[in-house]
Amino acid sequence: MTGFAYLGALLVAIAAMALIDARWRLAFWRAPGAAAAAVGAGTVLLLLWDVVGIGFGVFFRGDSEFATGIVLAPELPIEEPVFLTFLCYLTLVAVLGAERALASRDATASRDTLPSSDETDAASRPHRGHA
Amino acid sequence: MTYALICLPFLAVAVVIAVIASRRMTARERRRRWIATAIAAAILLALTALFDSLMIAAGLFGYADGTRLGPTVGLAPVEDFAYPIAAVLIVPAVWTLVRRRTLERVPRDERAPRAG
Repeated sequence: MTGFAYLGALLVAIAAMALIDARWRLAFWRAPGAAAAAVGAGTVLLLLWDVVGIGFGVFFRGDSEFATGIVLAPELPIEEPVFLTFLCYLTLVAVLGAERALASRDATASRDTLPSSDETDAASRPHRGHA
Repeated sequence: MTYALICLPFLAVAVVIAVIASRRMTARERRRRWIATAIAAAILLALTALFDSLMIAAGLFGYADGTRLGPTVGLAPVEDFAYPIAAVLIVPAVWTLVRRRTLERVPRDERAPRAG
């Protein structure tokens, strides 16, 4: 059973990320196609990177008791694409979550002033004194 | 050295895609994206230092002798930090490029000022 510890932990982490995503409608719960493309493209890039590293003999699979031992290719365990998917999903949620927080902070800052326009609104810009 | 050299082309691809996406944004979106990227990168790098070390300690993977530059953070070789850096550049960039394309197909009238 311990052989599934790493894979299981990754799947739990992905599920937890999905809960955050669903709660704040950040990625798959906002634009599923764009989220899938973003996580997919990131995962493919990082997986290619792994394959090149394995090809040059940089990485090798450890014989950890926490891994299933199932491999997709020599030195490439089944856990690796799952890990990379998690990393990319976490990345997307972190960036979009930070953007959401920044946007709501900006909205709060400008709500107290007159209706703003991009042309005239200096309220959100730092005051630079008189020229 | 081998590992560091392998990182370069992948980092380059991520940087190029991030710049392409950034050029499609308004100034405000771009500013927000780079601040958000810096925040996310700080989180990802800290998590990498912790969990990469744990994964190496657990014997999930290893590195061949003589392929690394040498410096590590915990047990994590510095080259491993190129992964989250590439991810934080390319993943939101692809999100933006796909979203932009989808939104352009359905023109939003509040974006374009009405000409009379």
